[in-house]
Amino acid sequence: MREVSFGQYYPSDSFVHKCDPRTKLLFLIAYIVAVFLAKNFYALGACAVVFVMVAALSGVPFRSLLRSVKAVLFLLIFTALLNLFFHSGETVLFSWWIVKITKEAVYFTVFFAARLFLLVLGSAILTLTTTPVALTDGIESLLKPLKWIRFPVHELALIMSIALRFIPILTDETGRIMNAQKARGADFETGGLIKRVKAIVPILIPLLISAFRRADELGDAMDARCYSGSKVRTKYKKLKYTWRDLLAALLIAALIAGIVLLRVYTAAII
Amino acid sequence: MEAIKFEKVHFSYEAEGNGNDPFADNAAFSLDGIDFSVEEGEFVAVLGHNGSGKSTLARLTNGLLSPSAGKITVMGLDATDEKKLFEIRKQVGIVFQNPDNQTVASIVEDDIAFGPENIGVPREEIGERIDFALGAVGMNDYRFSTTSRLSGGQKQRIAIAGVLALKPRVMILDESTAMLDPRGRKEVMDVVLRLNREEKITVLLITHFPEEALLADRAVVMHRGRIVLSGKPDEVLRQEETLKSCSLTLPRPVKICRELRCGGLAIGDCLDAETLAGELAALLPQNASFSGAQERARSTGTAESGSIVCENLSYTYNPSSPFATHALNGVDVRIAAGDFFGIIGHTGSGKSTFVQHLNALIKLPTAEKKYKPKKRKKNAPEAPQTTLNVNGFDLTQKTTDFKALRRKVGMVFQYPEYQLFAETVYEDVAFGLKNFCEDWSDEEVSAAVREAIERVGLDFEEVKNRSPFELSGGQKRRVAIAGVIVTKPEILVLDEPAAGLDPLGKEEIMELLHKMHADWCKTVIIVSHDMDEISENCNFAAAFSEGKILAQDTPKRLFSTTELTEKAGLDVPFTAKLVRALAARGVTVDCDLTTDDLVQKLLQAVKTEGAGMRSTQGGNGNA
Repeated sequence: MREVSFGQYYPSDSFVHKCDPRTKLLFLIAYIVAVFLAKNFYALGACAVVFVMVAALSGVPFRSLLRSVKAVLFLLIFTALLNLFFHSGETVLFSWWIVKITKEAVYFTVFFAARLFLLVLGSAILTLTTTPVALTDGIESLLKPLKWIRFPVHELALIMSIALRFIPILTDETGRIMNAQKARGADFETGGLIKRVKAIVPILIPLLISAFRRADELGDAMDARCYSGSKVRTKYKKLKYTWRDLLAALLIAALIAGIVLLRVYTAAII
Repeated sequence: MEAIKFEKVHFSYEAEGNGNDPFADNAAFSLDGIDFSVEEGEFVAVLGHNGSGKSTLARLTNGLLSPSAGKITVMGLDATDEKKLFEIRKQVGIVFQNPDNQTVASIVEDDIAFGPENIGVPREEIGERIDFALGAVGMNDYRFSTTSRLSGGQKQRIAIAGVLALKPRVMILDESTAMLDPRGRKEVMDVVLRLNREEKITVLLITHFPEEALLADRAVVMHRGRIVLSGKPDEVLRQEETLKSCSLTLPRPVKICRELRCGGLAIGDCLDAETLAGELAALLPQNASFSGAQERARSTGTAESGSIVCENLSYTYNPSSPFATHALNGVDVRIAAGDFFGIIGHTGSGKSTFVQHLNALIKLPTAEKKYKPKKRKKNAPEAPQTTLNVNGFDLTQKTTDFKALRRKVGMVFQYPEYQLFAETVYEDVAFGLKNFCEDWSDEEVSAAVREAIERVGLDFEEVKNRSPFELSGGQKRRVAIAGVIVTKPEILVLDEPAAGLDPLGKEEIMELLHKMHADWCKTVIIVSHDMDEISENCNFAAAFSEGKILAQDTPKRLFSTTELTEKAGLDVPFTAKLVRALAARGVTVDCDLTTDDLVQKLLQAVKTEGAGMRSTQGGNGNA
């Protein structure tokens, strides 16, 4: 009954969804670089403009985006507090006992939080608009040059793809085993930490055994279908760049150029 | 030409260095001097109980294993030659048992491309091969589907397509239908037959099901690593003595014919209802009617222990989300104390969801801790009341003691052996007891565990200190059942208790449940896809379809109409088929659809009529 797709993928047919996964990966990397290159609020504003453009094009509802921020909210608040109290500065705004808050610290805190915010949101756009399968294909394709240094790119991609495929199966299996043990009176909801950890054993062991058995059978099935990871292997799916990817490349190039110009002509706050 | 040829092939797992493999039962699965061959284009079925060596035969054929002695030739190639392994695997495709463990990719077309990619087929041709393979298994519309969302039958068809994309000349199905429901089994068998007839692919079908073996050109019976019988399926499946000595059973129709013959009727071994009805009708006068079937008695109490009353039960997965699925839609069922109750319906009909309500693995919203009764708006129609009363517990209330309920309602899930976890059988069986009866002394626990283990037919002293993972498949299942019945539940619910077992194992489990029903658990509820199992064992049954109860009645009345077949696409038991076929010939037989009762009624009928009694001396036994 777990029809809900795992991960965060938001199904749609938007411009961003249709972009090549490699483009999106490279775009994200360049975007992250741009966010780190930004030294003041103007530059960060330019990044934000690009982010809003992409988010609007993706058709992903704002609520889904915010959900991804929720996961790192604690980190955001924690670093913000640290920055606020411990960043050194000259213009004291407020002081009490050993606490001293300076104008510079406030600036820095807001800037740093905004930067983190943009980073998380940017990565969320990628996972929201790209299926895990496409992402794997994209990573495999981008890592291809590493074959020259004998890095096992294909094996890595296969491992990722098999892992993705077995996630829903093992999730279902976990649910089944939990139900079976619950029916035998196991209690996963009450009790202290040690009791709860102990309660996991009757789930973990059958799950591990099942995973090993599945791996064993899958290995046989792969062998039977002539798998050897050899060099003769061909690839059916080829990723293709389109005009969308060109537009995306132009956009990100403009952003980087803008940021660099801003670095030269405006003052940095950090 | 021979597609497969085995000459004096020996194999043992110890020799392979797999002696410590915890998943292999070492004494079993080995081969002891097999001579065996399959002609090109032939369709051969291999029958045998678990551990007879039939899967080993399959694995040897495409080089997943290599023999310790002897010679194997496949399509003219030496299968023991490591260098030719690729060539052989291209020629011989193999489809395994578990539909979930054979696909490598999340998307159907990527998975089918896997084989051709491995052997370096050029890109354009892979596309063509995917078209061909999907077409051959009738799954063209699913090319871009997610593999994990397909049904079991569809997954197996994808596995077949994945093998077909390598363009093999031989296809081995290693119990590929064992884990499927009847609908999925039929899908797969239809595909296999078509491949054999139209694509001229040689098929080696390894199976437990005699019905499937009947479709083959030839049937081979294996026992303890040897081939003991080989011949035309309908002849092989009549060799009662040999089949019995190999722990196999006769097909149900043949069993009925034998029993009729023992009763003095001149009936040959028929393999389908129509033929048997024809023979019987010749012995019985036209327009005869034989009645007098006794209804199996049923208790009428509603609140006593062992009974279940369920009214207007609905359940939705992922409510208020785009993925919402209505699993139950106003279910009304009454299960009486003392029932041996059957639940039938296709996968996704809601039966598993219903069963999980019975011991509150799924709680009603009103029983959730967080539940607050909503204020009803004026004039709003009153929401229909849900009633769910199990063994005297009211499951609509959050004040109900759910732990006490779970102790009284035992639940055995599908493939329960997959839930075993403890180091010893004793520990595993005691798990439930320790959860439910925390204040029991060690002696009390020990006595209860001993009783439960003995009740499932195992030797307590022999197994108590062994690891449950060392046991055979059937024994593991018994241990898992012992772990549920150890708390002496009043109601025992079993989801497909016989799934995946060989025919003898199935019979043994059902026998076990009957014994349990007699003096251990008041009420037994089984969920099953096997209609014969329902008609043989249950006094009452409910058919689920699309989250609703289509009908609930005695098997006799349930299977007497064509409604079930038409609306829910369910099969009917063989006995019901026979009764129908007789009715079409003007003979009405009124029986409760168990084999015993049917045979008895037929014998009585013939005797009272005095007609049709013929000498059975040297009857047409093997006609």
